Amino acid sequence: MKKFSVLFSAVCVAAGLAAAPAVAQTKPIRIGVPTAMQLQVGRDTQDALKMAVDDINAKGGVLGRKLEMVVADETENPETGISAIKKLTADEKVDVLIGGYTSGVTLAQLPHISAAKTIYLGVGAASPSTNAKVKTDYDNYKYIFRVGPLNAAHQARQLTVFISDFVKGELGISKVAIVGENAKWVQDLVPLLKKGATEAGADVRATEFFDAQTSDFSPLFSKVKDSGAQFMVVVLSHASSDIFAKQWYDSRFPMPYGGIDVKSMDGDFCERIGGKSVGEMAANFAVRAPLTPKTIPFFDEFRKRTSRSPVYTAFGANDAVYIYADAVKRAGSTDTNAVIKELEKTSYVGIPGTIEFDDTHDVKPGTATYKGPALLLAQWREGCKREVIHPKVMRTADFVYPAWIKK
Amino acid sequence: MLEILIVGAVSSAIYAMLAVGFTLIFGVARILNLAHGSFYALGAYGAYFFTTHLKLPLLPAALLAVAVVALFGIVVERVLIRPMRKSQLAMLMITLAVALVIEQVLFLTFGSEYRNVPAFIDTKFTIGGVDVGGARLLALGVGVVLIAALWLFIQRTRLGSAILAISQDPVAAQYMGIPSDRIFAVVMGISAALAAAAGVLAGPFLTVQPTMWLLPIVKAFAIVVVGGLGSIPGSILAALMLGYAETIVAYMISSSWTEIVSVLATLLMLMFRPAGIFGRRAAF
Repeated sequence: MKKFSVLFSAVCVAAGLAAAPAVAQTKPIRIGVPTAMQLQVGRDTQDALKMAVDDINAKGGVLGRKLEMVVADETENPETGISAIKKLTADEKVDVLIGGYTSGVTLAQLPHISAAKTIYLGVGAASPSTNAKVKTDYDNYKYIFRVGPLNAAHQARQLTVFISDFVKGELGISKVAIVGENAKWVQDLVPLLKKGATEAGADVRATEFFDAQTSDFSPLFSKVKDSGAQFMVVVLSHASSDIFAKQWYDSRFPMPYGGIDVKSMDGDFCERIGGKSVGEMAANFAVRAPLTPKTIPFFDEFRKRTSRSPVYTAFGANDAVYIYADAVKRAGSTDTNAVIKELEKTSYVGIPGTIEFDDTHDVKPGTATYKGPALLLAQWREGCKREVIHPKVMRTADFVYPAWIKK
Repeated sequence: MLEILIVGAVSSAIYAMLAVGFTLIFGVARILNLAHGSFYALGAYGAYFFTTHLKLPLLPAALLAVAVVALFGIVVERVLIRPMRKSQLAMLMITLAVALVIEQVLFLTFGSEYRNVPAFIDTKFTIGGVDVGGARLLALGVGVVLIAALWLFIQRTRLGSAILAISQDPVAAQYMGIPSDRIFAVVMGISAALAAAAGVLAGPFLTVQPTMWLLPIVKAFAIVVVGGLGSIPGSILAALMLGYAETIVAYMISSSWTEIVSVLATLLMLMFRPAGIFGRRAAF
């Protein structure tokens, strides 16, 4: 009898051992999505991520395993953000984290991501600080990657390049005015911009700040006009973009404008204001233009699924899934260290450009010769279409002056 | 200089349309209506809704929006304010609640995005070398006409006399057989219609989104405090003063300083002349 039971146990163990890899092979790869679920950026993160997951699963998954999404609401509050990471890593035991929005929340989450030894692909935060520790404390922070958007320092630099290369270099306009709303980040950015523009040989005739509540831009426009400037560089993020564009158009303001205008990133901004932004150039991370073979199909598919135009977190979220899946395939497993080594070698043609990581695991910005993600200055055109004007390497059409400006 | 004159006049006209209605309903019915800015918002959203969703031509849409808001004002007065008339505090609370409810309804119905109210005139005019949008000039013109019409209505008609009588002495007016409740409803309707007209006229060049009621109520409040709560000439004068003061500050100093003007004016007036320029007595 004893012999039989030993034999039976042995058979069971053997069966268990044989069965184990089979179970592992079919267990899905779990993607944790910490994001601000109530906001557009959060909804777009989830929808774009789901698109990629469905696509990969339809093609048989990764290493024969299906992908699965688990979402946790990180809100815009660091405490809740930390709870979201703990829930996803400790309770849900996800293999990778893809998400993020507010830099403050991401910064608070970093130690917890590091403690959980889980790969994190950021798609929302823009602060350079989130990735600084990858270089200074690699062993603890090697898990952190940023797929998008370009960090704030790169954005400032690229806007300076826009002034020097496009406004001065191509349009031949050296007299510019910089206007921005009275917000901390704008006050930080404008001096850098002014310095960069001046060094590039531009003549900054006026620097004007206005309150985010401003509803009448006539005085501001008047000052800019009187300064002798011929191009207006803007840094806007909150309430004012729509009135700004409307009043610029209504008064047929005699100079073009462009720069960082967060509301103007929205796909329906131009329609919302009755087409009055036609002629404006606004910075985007991607627009529906043939930036890469993936850009237009992504925009169309996203609209088909959601009836919305995607915001920037969608690009990163969608690309991040493919980037991770490719790294797992190359590594042959989901082993964290092996996948990190493969992620570092990433060169993936994504929605806004080719995604590669620098030594802080931060996405490399595009240059004159490298088609990485860039701050794309896209111009609104008749019919509320957008064309990329700057940088030149990504250009889809030539700049057109607003109808009332004769050149 | 000419530019300050024109831009200041446009701001003043919109402020006056807002403040006259606000002060009228206070002067006559002693209602401090915090939902006044919401009538402005509803006017703008009404014009947007009727033109974009019901595809009405702009003029009927604008008139319909003003009429609907006037009716809504009357309903608010009849259903929500009248039962609370005895308590100033209760009226403040109920009108604030109305404002917040309207904001949420607009938010849920139209979302947080900015909406576009089409302009009657989309061309640019050049007056003495100053470029001004047609929609602004129209706001100025219509604002002046509406306020003048209101003034004539109050001074020259029987109903106007009744309104004036109630504002001067409600008890005596009642003894003379003036139906005060009905007059309050009429005044509320006029007040709401004026605010809605301001919304329709300013919508094409200002922001149209759910929280747009807040700034107008702050401005209207500042104007009536300066002009004297309940005084229409005071409101018009104060609207001109505030409109021009803000424009001058924006031109001479910076646009980022304009918002402090109204707050400062309110504060100084309350400190040194609480009754306002034309007020008969301190309102607070």
